[in-house]
Formats: sequence, structure tokens, C-alpha cells
Amino acid sequence: MMNVKGILAGALLGAAVLGGAAQAADVKVALVPGGPHPYFANWEQGGRDAMKEFGLKAADYRVPAKWELGLQNQMIENLTAQGYNGFLIFPGDPVATNSPMADLQSAGIPSIATAGCTKDPSPALFCFGTDTGHSAYLGAKELIKAMGGKGTIVHFTGNLVDPNTQLRMDAVAQAVAESNGGIKLLQTIADIDRTPQEADEKINALLAARGKDIDGIITSAWLPAVSSATALRRIGDKRIKMVGIDHDKVVLAAIKDGFVHGTMLQNPYGQAYIGSYVMEEIVGHGCKVNDKAPFKSNALTKRFIDSGTGFQGIDGVDDFQNTMKAVTAELMKTFKATYLICP
Amino acid sequence: MNAFRRMLRSDSLGLALVVLLGGAALSIARPEFLTAYNIDVILVGFCLTVIYALGQGVIIAIGHMNLALGATGCLVAVSFGGAMQVWGLPVWAAVIFGLLIGMFCGFVNGWLTHKSGLTSFIITLATMSIFKGISLGITEAQPFYGVAESVKAFGSDRWGPLPETLLVALPIVIGLAVFLGRMIPGRQMLAFGGNPSAAELSGISRARMVILAHTLSGLLAAIAGMMSVARLQLASPAIGDEWLIASFAAPVIGGAVLSGGHLSVLGTCLGVLIVSLINQALVMLAVDPFYVQVLLGALILGAVGLNRLRESRMGNAPVLRLS
Amino acid sequence: MAALNTVQTPSPRPGERDAASAASRRLSGIFGSNLVGLLIAIAVFVLLFGFFANGFLSKVNLYSISRSIGIDGVIGLAMMTVLVTGGLNLGLGAIGVCSAMGVGWALQSLGLPIAVSMIFGVLLGAALGAVNGLIVVTTRLHSFVVTLATMSIFFGTMILLSGANGFNALPRVLTGFGRIRMYGVVSPLLLIMLLVAALLFYLYRYTALGREMLAAGANPFAAKLSGLPVERLFVCCHALCGGIGAIAGVMASLRNGAIVPSMAGPLGADWLLPAFLAPVLGGTLLTGGGVSVSGAVLGCVFVEIITRGLYMLQIGEFWIQTALGLVLLGAILLERGRAAMALQRSIGR
Repeated sequence: MMNVKGILAGALLGAAVLGGAAQAADVKVALVPGGPHPYFANWEQGGRDAMKEFGLKAADYRVPAKWELGLQNQMIENLTAQGYNGFLIFPGDPVATNSPMADLQSAGIPSIATAGCTKDPSPALFCFGTDTGHSAYLGAKELIKAMGGKGTIVHFTGNLVDPNTQLRMDAVAQAVAESNGGIKLLQTIADIDRTPQEADEKINALLAARGKDIDGIITSAWLPAVSSATALRRIGDKRIKMVGIDHDKVVLAAIKDGFVHGTMLQNPYGQAYIGSYVMEEIVGHGCKVNDKAPFKSNALTKRFIDSGTGFQGIDGVDDFQNTMKAVTAELMKTFKATYLICP
Repeated sequence: MNAFRRMLRSDSLGLALVVLLGGAALSIARPEFLTAYNIDVILVGFCLTVIYALGQGVIIAIGHMNLALGATGCLVAVSFGGAMQVWGLPVWAAVIFGLLIGMFCGFVNGWLTHKSGLTSFIITLATMSIFKGISLGITEAQPFYGVAESVKAFGSDRWGPLPETLLVALPIVIGLAVFLGRMIPGRQMLAFGGNPSAAELSGISRARMVILAHTLSGLLAAIAGMMSVARLQLASPAIGDEWLIASFAAPVIGGAVLSGGHLSVLGTCLGVLIVSLINQALVMLAVDPFYVQVLLGALILGAVGLNRLRESRMGNAPVLRLS
Repeated sequence: MAALNTVQTPSPRPGERDAASAASRRLSGIFGSNLVGLLIAIAVFVLLFGFFANGFLSKVNLYSISRSIGIDGVIGLAMMTVLVTGGLNLGLGAIGVCSAMGVGWALQSLGLPIAVSMIFGVLLGAALGAVNGLIVVTTRLHSFVVTLATMSIFFGTMILLSGANGFNALPRVLTGFGRIRMYGVVSPLLLIMLLVAALLFYLYRYTALGREMLAAGANPFAAKLSGLPVERLFVCCHALCGGIGAIAGVMASLRNGAIVPSMAGPLGADWLLPAFLAPVLGGTLLTGGGVSVSGAVLGCVFVEIITRGLYMLQIGEFWIQTALGLVLLGAILLERGRAAMALQRSIGR
């Protein structure tokens, strides 16, 4: 008896939630990263700022408790049941995340692949993030420039199950190839973006073994960047040049103290801020994505919008946040006119 | 008991041979292997891993499991970091705070396991989720960076090839070997692990043994957690994530039996060394990243298989040790 | 329903045997009272979440719960078949992913028909499982070490061969299959799980092979003495585990709409938790020889429901894991208390 009542009550609640979603004005955006990671911390602020400025009902940062594809998919399903009607999703897998996105699409809910792309054909409105391969390429170029175009480098990168890792390896190889034989890629170490200890051990093992042959380090994943920066500080002679990625405090401090040459910044704040804004325009005001907009394309998709990436050297390293807010403001100026068609 | 001992020693002998041969081969292939810096790198990893492997080892010794080992280390690491950064506690106070948290976590595991009569597998699975969740809740997945300079220095200073962390790891290894081999509570633990009913009949308290082993495990996890902070120079909530499998692998490679009653401290140390040698070799020989996983598995199997082969040649292998 | 075969073994079987076997004797007693406990717990939580968690009983949610139960249930059942031996299979996820990738390769690169590709995948899984089993019985190493190594070998080889590129041009029939909704709330994946469970139940309950597996797992020494081919039986258990793992891998791919190497995380390790949780909650003994097929299924349902429900209660994201652990702990301790009380009452009578 109780059971029937419970089901009825639940069904009513469920219906109420779904009914609520139909109201045009209430835009509830969910920002779903792949798992807990410091990279996404700025998403929360970006979503909050967008909520205040553009009058969204919600722009909530909802993190899966672990980095598991299944868990992220479940979370998206849960959030749908709770009445969220716009999604910014970091694809746990470029191919497999298309599936929850297709589920969303069939329920009339738009999603944007954020901070990483899904592979075409994708139900995502577009991909808004850093072009991982391009970023690694630019980083390698900066490194090669800092080394004066000569020497031996090593590349520390992310996990092999992530196809972006292959893109990054290709990009670094390309930059090396363009050095006309001046630069040699000694070794690539992959699969070290899981835990800090693993990254620390492998990077130090390599530096211990081949340190004197190495003139430069390029890292294209968060944890290896942190571990390499710490290792170079420990060695302390500033001979080896390094270009890292992202804005971990350890990396920034090492740039400031001269142990690291620079880092390739990404723009998580802007991704969340602009992404939430787009959802407000599309879900709340009936805008559509302009299919003829000048999208960029990368190895995964032809509908890519660069959220901004840039090299951050020692100049202005203290207020890198402002740099990224400025990039965001710049993008915002033309975003609506370029990428949206509104009634 | 004597025959048992002899077997235990020869168990470790085979592993020691594997370590020596592997080390020799590697230093011929890559002379840099024997530089002070590289030996330091190996030892730093060894010091950390051996502590949490022994943390699992003492639990395996009584035939239990501690799935919450890494989560305990993680909770201690972020509490340790938080105590320094947020509360501004001096290092010694933060260390004591961390040790107490670790022991408390272990005590909870042991007490619940004992009181409920359920397997430690289920209990520690639940507490793993709780401890890990608290760490994530406190930090919101952000590391604490405010680690005291003296802690950072402890994690990176070395004398020639010897890292300072050996000052912690060596006494623990020796102490635990003495505890399990010579002291009454330690021998009682092994006896209890070998046959709980018989041990209880001979007056060993079940509650005491279970809680003792789990608290000890929590203590070791706490030390390993804080050593990770010193090494990584930050208190990350990802500390401990990869401990689980490694913590079982080293004692088991070293001859521990998952059913309890048997733990070789020396064997565990050698187990840790074998795995870290293999990892070193894969890095030093510049193996293509796509081959690393395959070779890692094959080498582990090879090393352990070699030891087993030697054992059976010597007639030491148990007649039927299935599964 | 427990295939009750908790042969009590005197000495050298794994530890915690007192606690575990006493608990299992009491919990999964003659009519499997822990099943009753799990059922009560499930009912209580469904009611609680139905009232308090917004949208828990919505069709969307019930459907996605049924889909997850289907996949995680098969993962749990796969592990159960090898827990029978008193061993385990750390590489279950790796085998599942490798087999699924094998199916993708057969479909997309070889252009084989769907049915043939599926059979190929399951056979591949069974073969990989059999390799584990063979190494375990010939070297007499613990299955923990063996599967730790082969996990790395299998997964690494797969990454090497595939270059970590998944297969995303699956036939429409397949991608559609993962999305079918029966009666609005039931996923066909749930039915596959029930089918696998029914077959396993039949195996352990009514066939000589199943009973021999249990006997060999409960006490290999005694089984060997009484003439059972223990080694061969163990290899069978490992192969069965691999085959069912392959089914789980394919099911996960159907849900994803693509076959990708990352579906179970690095080395397939994401599967370990659901793999152990369901059977152990359901009363399967880690020491071998005792299984409970329906217990594993209910265990999986229970975990799925509290996970989903807690997410819907909108506890702070970062605290969800703590809440999950506390609820799990609370529920098993309560169930333990309930079982103990029931026992007392029956003695009092």
C-alpha cells in the first residue's frame, strides 16, 4: 500500500519537474566535469557570474565523485530527472559521451562539449574548449624558441585511453619535425596523469637517468606539469627549460622563480561563463546556433570554438586570472553575433 | 615452525636474486642507473611504497583486507596539509594530528569489523567511501599548497644516494620485522591469522588482535600519507588513489598468503623493489609508451614465476596451493 | 537464493572464515535471510527516495536505473563465478573492454555479421579468462598476482593494437538496442542480466558441473581427494568469468553507443568496485565455494538505488561519497542487527 502511494507521489513529483522544464524562462544549466579535478574549479565561478549577470535560474557546478565514464553518464541522467535543461559537459570520452548527449537531445535538452570535444557526428551544439593538439603544438614551439632551436626534449603527457593524448604526441612530433633537425625528441612518457605519485616517480626516474642529455621538457597534462616543476625546483640549476600546462600554483610559482619557462594557459572560467550565457540565449530566448558560423575544426570535430589558450611566461604571471577574464570579455563581444541566430 | 621459517627465508632469497639480477642487468645496459641521484629516486619511491604495503601486510597477516588504506592515507594527507595551511599548526602538532586521524580510522575499521562480525572487505569498502568522501568534501578536489618548508625539505633532501625519508622508513621496516618475529603481540597476530579458532582457544583475544592490526594499518597509512605530502610538496586529495593494488601486490609477491598467518617483511620490501625496478627499467630503456603496460605485466609475471619455479625445483612449494 | 554449499573447511582456507562463514550461515541461512534483509532495505530506500528525492521515481530515472543495474549486475555475476574458486579476477574490466573492442574490430574492420561478432567477443573473453585460469593452476601463484599481471598485458595489448581508437560506427540496430525502453522504464540490458543470472542459477543449482565447481572451490584438497578434476574446474570458472565479462563489456558499449577503450577507466579498473560489491553484499563467500546468484542481483539493485537516490537528494557533490559510505555502512549494520535479532527470537521460541 505504502509502496503504491510512494510511487504515485514520486510520479507526481517527477511530472511536476518535467512540467517545470517546459517553461521557457527557467534556464537551469548544469556544468558537469569528468570528475573532481582542480582544472574545473574555475567553472564554478564562471557559472555563478553568468547566473547573476544573465538572470539564469541556476548554473550549477555538479561534479561526479570519481573519474568514471559510467558515473558521469549516470549523473547526467540524474540531473535531467531533476529538471536541468542545459548542459555543459566535459566529455569523459570523446566518442562515448555522444550517447548521453543524444539522450539529452531526444529530450529536447541542448548540450555543449566543454573544455574538450566530442567526436563528430555529435549531438553537441558545438565544442567549446582548448584545442588540445594545437595547445601542445604552441607549447612545444615556445619551448623550442626558448631553447634557441637546438637540443633534446622530452614530452610528459596524459593517459593513453584518452585519444587527446595521441593528438598531443602528434603535435609535439610535428613541432619537432619543423625544427629542421635542431631538436630531438628523446622520449615520451604517457599514462602519468592519474595520480601525483606515479607522475613524480616516472619523471624523476627519467631525469635521474637521462637528465644531463635533456635540455627541454614539454608537458601536456596537469599532474606531469606539477611534478616536473617540482622536480626542476629540486634540481635547481635552471639549465633545463620547461613549458608546462594549466595554472596550478606550483607551476606558476616555478615560473615566477625562474625554474619553469612558461605554461600554456587554458580558459576554464570563460568556458563556463560563456557556455552558461549561450544556454540562457538558446533555452530561454529561442536562439539557435548559426550553422554557417566560422567554426574552427580540429581532429575531433568541425564545430569547434576556441575558448582561448595562451602562453604565460614570467611577465604578468601574478594576475593570470585577469588575463583570462580579458580573453573572455574579448570573446563575449562578438560571440552572439558570430555564433547565434536569435529571433 | 622451524621448517616454516626456513621456507620463509628461502622465499625471500629467490626474490633477492631477482632484484640483484635485474639491478645488475639494468646497470650494465644503463650506467646511469647507479648514479646517486637515481638510487635516491628509487629509494624515495621505495620508502613510501613499503610503508603502505606493510600497512596492508599487517592486515593480510590476520587474513583481513583493508580497502580503505589509500583513503585513510588521503584523509591524513589533506588533514595534515589543512592543519598547516588553514589552522596554522606547527609541523609537530600537525604530524601528531595526522597520526591520530590515521589510527582512529584504523581503529574504526577494526572495531566495526569485530563488532559486526562481517568481513573486513565490506566494512572497509564502506569506510573507504566515507574517508575519501571527507577528503574530497574538505578540499573540494583542490590541493592544500600551504605545506611547511621543513616538511618540503624532508621530502626532497638527501645525503648522496640516501633520501631523508629513509629515516622514517627503515625504523618502521625493522621495527615491524621485530614486532612480528620476536614480540608476543606480533606473534599472536600471526598465530591468530593462521588459525583464529585455535588462537582463541589458546587465550588470544580476537577483539584485541583485530583492532590492533587495523589500528596499526591506519597508523602506517597515516605515515605514508604524510610522506606523500612531503614528497609532492602539496597535500592533494588524489594521494592514495593508486595504493590499493600495489599494497596487495608487494606483500603477495613477497610470499604473504591472503588467507592470513604469514607475512614476510623482507619479502614485502623485495616485492616493492621488484615492481619499482621494473618501472625504472621501462623508463630508462625508453620503451614506447604504448608497450609499457604490456611489458609491465609480462615482467611482473616473469619475476614472480621465476621465483615460483625456483621454489618448486627446491621442493619448497606446497603440494597443492590452488587459487 | 543461495546455492547452499558452505562446506566448512577446517584449516588452511582463507581467513576471516569464522566471521565470514558464521555471518553467511546466519545471513544466507536456509532460506537466505540476507535476501530478505536486502529486499527490505531496497523497499525502504525506494520509499524514502520516492518521497524525498525529487524525480527519483520519474520514468527517466527508473529507466536509467534499470540500465545500470543490467550492466553492473552482469559485472558482479562475472566476478562471482571466479570468487567460487576462492580466487579473484582483477582483470575483469580489462577482459570486458578487450572483448568489446574485439567485437568492434570484427564488426567494423572485418565486416562480420552482428551475431558472429558477438559470439567472437564472448569467446575471446572466455579465452582470456581461460588463460588466467591456466596460469593460476599451472604456476600455483595466487590469482591476485596472476590477474594483476595479465590485466596489464591484456589491456596494454589492446591499446597497442587499437592505438586507443574506439569503434563508433556501430550498426544502427545495436546503438538503437541500448536505447530501447520497454514499458517506458525497462531497459533490455536488465533482461540480459536476468537471463545471465537465471543461467548461472541453473548452473550452480541443477548441473553436475556447477556443483563440482562449488565443491572444488569450497575445499580443493577434499575435492581433489574425492577425484574431482579441480584444476580443470578452476580453469572453467575463470573462462566463465571472462565470457560473462565480455557480455558486460558489450552491454556497456551498447549503452555508450560506441565501443571505446576508456569505458572502464585505465586498465579497466573502474569495474572492480561493482564487481566485488554486488556478490559480496549478496552473500557470496570470498573464501570460495559459496555463491548466491539472487543475492548478487539484489546486492547490485541495492547499491544502485542508494547511489542514485543520494545523488538526487542534492547533497553537496563533494560529500556524496561520504553519504554513500555512511548509508552503506548503516544499512549493512542494521541488516546484521536484524539478522541477529531474528536468530535470537527463533532460539527463544
